Amino acid sequence: MKKYVFSLLIAASVANINQAFAQKEAYETTVDGVKVIVQPSGNSIVEIQAIIKGGVQNYSADKMGIEALAMSALTECGTANHDKNSFKNQLDKVSATVFGYTNKNFAVLRMNCIKGDFDTVWPLFSEALTQPKFDGKEFTRIQQDAINNLKANESQPDVAIDKYADKIAFANRDYAKDPEGTVEILQKLTPEQTKAYYEGILTRSRMLIVVVADMDRATLESKLKVLLDGIKQGPAFDFKKSFFRVYKNTFSSENKDLATNYVEGITSGPEAGTPDFDAFQVAMRIFAQRHFLEVRTNNGLSYAPQSWFSSGATSVAKFSVSTTQPDKYIAVFDKLVDQVKTDGFKADEVADMKVTYLTGFYYKNETNNAQASSIASNEVVYGDWKRSLTLVGDVKKLTTEEVSDAFRKYIGNIIWVYQGDPKKVNPLLYTNGTLHKADNPVNN
Amino acid sequence: MILKFTKPIVLSIALLLFTGQLMAQPRLPEGYFWKKLPNGLEVVVIENSKVPLATIEIAVKNGAYTEGPEFSGLSHLFEHMFFKANKDYPDQEKFLKRTQELGAIWNGTTDVERVNYFFTFDRDSLKAGLKFMNAAIRFPIYREEDMKKERPVVDGEFQRGESDPGFQLWYGVQQKLWGDLVTRKVAIGIHEVINTATPEKMMVIKNKYYFPNNSLVTICGDVKHDEAFALAESIFGDWASSGFNPIEKYPIPPFKPLDKSQYFVKETSIAETPYMQLSWQGPSYLTDSASVVTADVFSTIVGLNASKLQQALVDKGLASSVSLGYTTCKYVGPIDIFVVPNPNKLKECYDELNKQIAMFADDDYFTDEQLKDAKAILLRNDTFNKEKPSTLPSQMSYQWCSTSLNFYTDLIDNYQKVSRADIQKYLKTYVVGKPMVAGIVIKPELSKQYNVASFFAAK
Repeated sequence: MKKYVFSLLIAASVANINQAFAQKEAYETTVDGVKVIVQPSGNSIVEIQAIIKGGVQNYSADKMGIEALAMSALTECGTANHDKNSFKNQLDKVSATVFGYTNKNFAVLRMNCIKGDFDTVWPLFSEALTQPKFDGKEFTRIQQDAINNLKANESQPDVAIDKYADKIAFANRDYAKDPEGTVEILQKLTPEQTKAYYEGILTRSRMLIVVVADMDRATLESKLKVLLDGIKQGPAFDFKKSFFRVYKNTFSSENKDLATNYVEGITSGPEAGTPDFDAFQVAMRIFAQRHFLEVRTNNGLSYAPQSWFSSGATSVAKFSVSTTQPDKYIAVFDKLVDQVKTDGFKADEVADMKVTYLTGFYYKNETNNAQASSIASNEVVYGDWKRSLTLVGDVKKLTTEEVSDAFRKYIGNIIWVYQGDPKKVNPLLYTNGTLHKADNPVNN
Repeated sequence: MILKFTKPIVLSIALLLFTGQLMAQPRLPEGYFWKKLPNGLEVVVIENSKVPLATIEIAVKNGAYTEGPEFSGLSHLFEHMFFKANKDYPDQEKFLKRTQELGAIWNGTTDVERVNYFFTFDRDSLKAGLKFMNAAIRFPIYREEDMKKERPVVDGEFQRGESDPGFQLWYGVQQKLWGDLVTRKVAIGIHEVINTATPEKMMVIKNKYYFPNNSLVTICGDVKHDEAFALAESIFGDWASSGFNPIEKYPIPPFKPLDKSQYFVKETSIAETPYMQLSWQGPSYLTDSASVVTADVFSTIVGLNASKLQQALVDKGLASSVSLGYTTCKYVGPIDIFVVPNPNKLKECYDELNKQIAMFADDDYFTDEQLKDAKAILLRNDTFNKEKPSTLPSQMSYQWCSTSLNFYTDLIDNYQKVSRADIQKYLKTYVVGKPMVAGIVIKPELSKQYNVASFFAAK
């Protein structure tokens, strides 16, 4: 059901990896060679995520969409012991969630239920992961649903501009692949192909299990042992990271009959795990505040000016607005970037951001699901789930200079994309810059 | 449930306070504490120490339902202006700077029967946070230059909506469902009204609705209720009551029932896949609170995978999704069915949907087991809904504005009491055989290919 409530701010894009909140001390163990991370929750909700690493690294461009379809099929196309309806009906009875999805870095099968319903839900989760049936009739149905969902997402202008930006910026890289695929590819996929693909990626070598729940350790480990015993070890998997830098400003546009125009820019960012990473993350958060103040408050150019650090196997900085005045926007943007590059951030901005990080540390992790997702992301992308607990402390140590320098180092040429009325925009202002000075942030 | 301010003035203040507290103490969930200040401001403290944060929210009975055409969209613009300037923070740069110093996460929303503002920060900043909120709610500054900058921002939010086919469909349905009173149901408003709004109009809204006796302050988090009440009273205690109930003084005109069903096909090139929406005028909390409860139970039944609706549409591949929902309102809430149809089977999907709706009130439309399952789901959902402490104020204040705190507290128990007969009564009163508005948003070429206008019309 769509309900339209109007808010002061659109939800901030929290593309950066969140920090986890430790109620009681989290611990790590290994079952059948698979790393298992357990965060006691202090509540009656159980969240378990089975992660399969790789995402867009797992398939070629002509098969994009296959992993998403496979993950959806786990719960929508029956299992060895249940047809689709009996599987879903059992979940309904206890208002539990078991479903699969994927992103550019990893796939997830998650379960979420009330602790007292664990014994009902666990067998379903376990079957979905290890004994999916890929029933042909149900597969045809979810294939059409996947096409509908793809098109529905493309009708959302914020989603559409971000997909378009990724496609242009990451051409010939893994990150150009859209996990949702294309209509043409989805139409051609068969249940047999999709099942074979899933069986190929379901190996203990690619897996990680995250549990956020108050569960007896021995019980949990024995259940996980049974689950993982049924999964082959598979060859060692190396999660590849790829550095991204833009060598020339570009501007690409698509004509769309929208009530406003959407603009997005992508530029470089430090790789996960490198020394600049935390400083750049803070820099982008402060820049987001300045961007909001200048674009929206002081110039009234957009309801939704956003800038964020999108981290993953490929980590990049992104900027976006919806605006009826795209040429005025780019002038304000250039000036803003130039100001940071020239004068750096202020000490009080960095100090305030450290306080905001602390609030965010707890706020984003009030739910078991958010905590599990944070742990999973940190483990897959950084190879260090404990980062979810130490980030606030690490950020506290940063100096203003480190934060400013990180911004200067990575913000340079930008890939700009635009959807809307092409008559409203002058592409030259995006490619040549608007400041015309030596240290113009847009490097001509 | 409208509050009445008709106590004889001969009552002493002390007696009035005592009587008010004793008689009006609402039922609340465990860990929730309520107090009404002498100026009429209601304060709820929710003790929840899951994380060391505090969330404060102020909710005001304002929103689209208070807007005639000349004010359409201005409750929302007012909400934006709350974050602009006030006596303590005279421009938005200073305002934002203060939120950054507090490390606050904040937002505001405008809906049909509520406007709310909320901040989350470290628990030790509670006093500073309440003072910050006090300055914004009581002492705003409206400058023409600030409004000039904020009007295109709010209009930009509208344009973003108009760039989304789902919004276009919803907006089209609202126009037909509410007729002449549509401005009372669409908070985003009218472009021209937003773009010509003045500081004087902001003051009109403030002087009608922004009073303690029309507001609820909620403090939730790692706090102690006695201390939180004391802080709230010391900060908001001298905020003067209006002396009148705004909703009584400026009454909401009655919504005219639909006299016949209406259909429309909205063609747009941006609808990559079609959506359908069917809507009815549903119950009002004021006149049929029982149906407000019943509506949620039926919505949950037809959301079950085993339900006839899901089996007929989703299981058979006629739709990717179908959902039915009722939006709780004090004054006529909508009942909406939203469908993402299979674009290759539009007519079959639409025909089947109508067939299902016609059967909704039949004795065998759902099983006893499904009714039981729906109630069990609503019970468990209460646990899920209470997982995130920072959302608790907003969940409660929605009900404070549109129903009552007692209704909110009793809701889960009352779901368990709903019978098949209650559901059939609700459906026969509001849905089955009743006039509705049906809309579809679709690409022109697809619409032409299937000649959608030929079947998406009155029979």
